Amino acid sequence: MYILQNAFRNILRNRGRNMLIGAIVFVIIIASVVALMINNTADGVIDDYKDRFAAEVSLVPDMQKLREQLMEESTDGSVRMTRPIIPAEQYIVFGESDYLQGSIYTAAVGVNNDDLTAVDGHLGGGTNRRGGSMGGGGSFQPTLFLMKLLGNEFDDFTDGLREIAEGRMPENENEAIVSTDLAELNELSIGDTLTFESELLDDEGEPHEIEYTITIVGTYYDATDEYAEGIQQNAFTNRRNEILTGYDTVVSAFIPDHSGIDINATYFLENPDYLEAFAEEVYGKGLDSIFDVTTDEASYNKIVGPVEGLKSISLTFMIIVLIFGGTIIALLSSIAIRERKYEIGVLRAMGMKKQQVAFGLWSEMLLITCFCLVVGIGAGMMVAQPVTDMLLEHQIEAAEASVSQTSGPMIMGMGAVPANSDAEPLENIDISLGLITILQIIGIALVLASLAGIVSISKITKYEPIKILMERN
Amino acid sequence: MSVLVLNEVSYRYEGTKKAVLKDISLSFDNGKVYTIVGKSGSGKSTLLSLIAGLDVCGTGEILYGGSDLKKLDRDNYRAKSIGVIFQSFNLLTNATAVENIVLSMHISGRKEKDKKMFAYELLEKVGIDKETADRKILKLSGGEQQRVGIARALSHNPDVIIADEPTGNLDRDTEEDVLNIFTSLAHEENKCVIIVTHSKKVTSIADEVWGMHAGRLLAVEQKAQ
Repeated sequence: MYILQNAFRNILRNRGRNMLIGAIVFVIIIASVVALMINNTADGVIDDYKDRFAAEVSLVPDMQKLREQLMEESTDGSVRMTRPIIPAEQYIVFGESDYLQGSIYTAAVGVNNDDLTAVDGHLGGGTNRRGGSMGGGGSFQPTLFLMKLLGNEFDDFTDGLREIAEGRMPENENEAIVSTDLAELNELSIGDTLTFESELLDDEGEPHEIEYTITIVGTYYDATDEYAEGIQQNAFTNRRNEILTGYDTVVSAFIPDHSGIDINATYFLENPDYLEAFAEEVYGKGLDSIFDVTTDEASYNKIVGPVEGLKSISLTFMIIVLIFGGTIIALLSSIAIRERKYEIGVLRAMGMKKQQVAFGLWSEMLLITCFCLVVGIGAGMMVAQPVTDMLLEHQIEAAEASVSQTSGPMIMGMGAVPANSDAEPLENIDISLGLITILQIIGIALVLASLAGIVSISKITKYEPIKILMERN
Repeated sequence: MSVLVLNEVSYRYEGTKKAVLKDISLSFDNGKVYTIVGKSGSGKSTLLSLIAGLDVCGTGEILYGGSDLKKLDRDNYRAKSIGVIFQSFNLLTNATAVENIVLSMHISGRKEKDKKMFAYELLEKVGIDKETADRKILKLSGGEQQRVGIARALSHNPDVIIADEPTGNLDRDTEEDVLNIFTSLAHEENKCVIIVTHSKKVTSIADEVWGMHAGRLLAVEQKAQ
């Protein structure tokens, strides 16, 4: 106890030197507080976005790779690219993975009903068989469909682009909702039962008729353009002709090894780090190597990129401050010990043990550090938010400048995943001081104090009181 | 039984060939004042530093209470068993006089309820009043510093008190007071007091006077009891 009391008195006795050491420790602590607050808050933000974007996996064809493959196989130099598809049953097999926390399946099939008039039916129909000629049958003329039966495609409702006009959403198999336009055109009412025909093609390209019997349970308003997605304008691509039902309803007519029902899946990983393992698994289960197993990296990078830059800058800054500050503290401690050599000699001559002298010196440094810690945390909290805002602003500007430099004539293959147009970079981060940050700062402070203590101890162990006093005398 | 026994003690400084102390054998008893006289460089202060446990002898042995100093915890020995009054005081200069005394008591582990009050009393005994006791050592005169040094040496009630020219910076009256303290410590409190000095006055209070020349113990003058 008396060592601590003496240490406290010594701080006051040597104000000049201790103020200098205190100022350096203060600078290190305030820099560490700001850097760690930014770092830890950014970590939280990044983890959150990682969970949202990096956990969502899509199987996307690499069109560039496909083009190269076709070019190699082509004899006359011309290629006809068709979008490769993943067989429906593979989607389901891929979904049975321990790496996934869940999967969302959607399904689509072109349908016709001779008794119904499709919106823009006079423009003709289309086919959902991308490329049409997959599987041979070169002379086969595909059936043109006027309507689409979509399974589990309800995103527009959550996005506010569509909403129920009457009735309810489909809840059971063979229930569906239709657009108000289609309902009005055909005087359809809730409770009406309709039969739709479609066809699936086997490996030989032979068609097999299938049928859906659907009960209308509601109608929906559609606030989007009729041809929001399609380049071709016909009844098939008209969004008003989309009959929305459950996934199970669409795949109920599914026949293995037959194409015609377009199934899609989005998988959600248990942990974003499982991406590689999941990819390995699905390739092992037969996924064509033309497909990439990807996350929405572009959106993630666009949103989180500036935050990662901010984190990196703050960490680099902290490391530099720690290295320089630590070196200066070590040097100052070394000089201070030389100055206090006589004092150490006297204490040792009085019978104080080396470890007690070292503990006293370390306690002095610890007390100075504790004082700086309290003041530094307070000051750090005050400056962290403005510093973050300023750095983040620079990062966003830099990211925008980088994008504008690289976004000249960009060729994007079919099926590539562009950054979501509505994905905006994070413009604000609310910096906060958490328990972990406080513990980390205390850890850094203890390391600083101990660094000075180690320098002192290493010097003291070399000092013998008789030599010190003889030198002095 | 002698409190301190030196058996054929020799010593040479690191890196030198010449022995500073040569085969010194000597016993010190409680209740006596010893003075060691000799020219500068004769080895007196070196002998004191060995007795003080600040250094260890090359050959021979120094026994305290029958135990070899080389085998004892010398920090503990310095803190509790020996009180040293240095020629150049060796006080903590940025601390006050009373803080120096209290710190010494803490290091020795002396169980005194009010250490500060005891320190003031001790300082008063050597002629330092309370006001002076609260001043930093740097602001005290040489004589005052010497008295603080004496008070510090006595603060932990050691068995052996060793002093290197303890009255060199004192005026005649204070010298008289300090010598009275030494004789009283030896004769009334049964302490062993060893003084290195050039002063005939100091020698005059000694029970035994030893001379040193070129590292050897030369002569002894023993007062009749």
